[in-house]
Amino acid sequence: MHEQSLFASVPVHQHHELLQQLAGLTAMQPRHCLERRLIFKAYRKPGLAGRVGATQDLQQADLQRLNKMLNGNMYYTQVVGPVSERDFGSTAPVDRDIQMAGVDDSKPSGTSSPSYDYERQQWKLEFRDIPEAGTRSAVTSRLMSSATLPRGDVVQAMNAWGYHFTTEYLVEGDMFVLNDIAIFLHRVLHYPGGDELNTPRRQLPALKDMVLFEKSGSYVLQAFIIVQDGSNQETMKTASQHLFGLREQLKSAVLLEQADRLSLDTRAK
Amino acid sequence: MPITGVYFIPSNPNASTALQIVTERLRAAFPNEELTPIGRWGLEQKLLRDTPGLLPSSSSNKKPPNPRYMQFLSLTHYPTHGFIYTSEPEKPAPEPNQSQNQSSPGAPGPVNGIAPDHSPSPPMVMTTIPPSSYGTLFHHFTYACQPFWCHRLTLTVPNGIVYEVGDFRVRLGDVRQTFPTARVRGTVIEIEWRGPSVVEAIPLDQEDGSFSAGVDAGADGDVDVETAGIDLASSAIEESDIDAEYAATASLIREFWGRLGVEAREAILIPNVGMEVKNRLRRWKKAESGVDAKVDTMVDGAGSVIVERAEEDPDPWSGTDVARQFMEVLRFNR
Repeated sequence: MHEQSLFASVPVHQHHELLQQLAGLTAMQPRHCLERRLIFKAYRKPGLAGRVGATQDLQQADLQRLNKMLNGNMYYTQVVGPVSERDFGSTAPVDRDIQMAGVDDSKPSGTSSPSYDYERQQWKLEFRDIPEAGTRSAVTSRLMSSATLPRGDVVQAMNAWGYHFTTEYLVEGDMFVLNDIAIFLHRVLHYPGGDELNTPRRQLPALKDMVLFEKSGSYVLQAFIIVQDGSNQETMKTASQHLFGLREQLKSAVLLEQADRLSLDTRAK
Repeated sequence: MPITGVYFIPSNPNASTALQIVTERLRAAFPNEELTPIGRWGLEQKLLRDTPGLLPSSSSNKKPPNPRYMQFLSLTHYPTHGFIYTSEPEKPAPEPNQSQNQSSPGAPGPVNGIAPDHSPSPPMVMTTIPPSSYGTLFHHFTYACQPFWCHRLTLTVPNGIVYEVGDFRVRLGDVRQTFPTARVRGTVIEIEWRGPSVVEAIPLDQEDGSFSAGVDAGADGDVDVETAGIDLASSAIEESDIDAEYAATASLIREFWGRLGVEAREAILIPNVGMEVKNRLRRWKKAESGVDAKVDTMVDGAGSVIVERAEEDPDPWSGTDVARQFMEVLRFNR
């Protein structure tokens, strides 16, 4: 799959207005989204060169292929989970044993306070390659993949697959859909208190305590089309033309443009 | 999740497939059973290995590290998900002289003399993923993870046959290798116990955290609800009962196979088999101990984000035992 996108920066004072404009353009109410995003990094084993292996008879060609593979790119990848506002500032689900032993059941908070259950959190693995270089088209085009993962704690599986958890952040924003174009007006929030944890949070702080990544509070507008068959030049071209069409429609409000390729580099060094 | 056993008969120069022999022996051993196929089944397995481990040894005095594997498996009789079974990563050890053999105590070797040609395997992590993600993840690993995962083998059972023999369901099929080169590998037989079982009496946990009575519905669709036949409270089942049940059923399966008199590689009580059943029992016991706790999870579930509902798996862990057994027998010169 390929993702083609155009980006624009939206200052905070323009946010409300643009939301209205997009609602008018797409004839839909904004769909508010909150997403936990966990960043995982592929790790290379230390002391790779000196490692010994199986005793298969390797042909020279095989050896070359393996060496090429070993020096291939490694990437950061994101694991994305949708959350809702009620998940924030809440406590973990009450442990049933404790609740049984607890003082009383008259306390209303037991059932009324929302709870966030990390063990039932949904996740998707979202991979984005570095945008393709040297494309003549003026859109950002990159290889992508998106795969649903099991609910709950993904760290054990991700570790086994060769990734380790680096950090996490939150994205808040609104989603619109116009024909084949998805429009995501969003900004990045950081968790208060920095990154002292090396595992994903099991509880989420109150939403108002989240820290803006971009201090001015400005938003990013991303308009993107996902093309299933990226090798089909025809559909790729059609997709970018649709994006240019949207750019024209929004010209008076925002300037949608191609992103700097290296700023979207996902390769791990 | 029914208890199963898997047998594999490698092909040899004289006979590339044992399908005929096994079918004939089945017919001869159970003359009272009408041996008509009740369905078809299929399997696909992809094996990946850690790329660094494939390099020939550069310094022979070093101990070979534990090879790491990732196996993808999909079975047509578990259509709601695919299985990924991955070796656990080595503990991060910055010192170069890490003692590799220390992982052996933690890794239970093959039990009961299964697959004697394999060294003790390191602990493995089982994951199940929706079918839509199965291919995507495989492509992801072969594209973005080349420095540490290398695709070694693809095996398929394209056209297996299912028979019902008494209390057992038997799945037979020829194993073909399709990558890197096409060749015949042998014949695989899955024997599933369909009689009453304590394991089937443990209810499934639902999406909202509650438990439904009833049996494993994820498997075939034609599961006979009465097969469970046992109605027990959660307190009546202990983990030791599960172990005993697996052992007892294993001997039934072995007896069944013994009547056919065919030499084969066996995988029944392999490491980690029954793990998901025990986890389910634990969750069930926990849920039963606090009934009112269910209320607030249901309140929570009612308004939860409706995303990917179509991909919701009723029982993500069904079939993990048989997946492990298939993966155990289908490991060739990796």
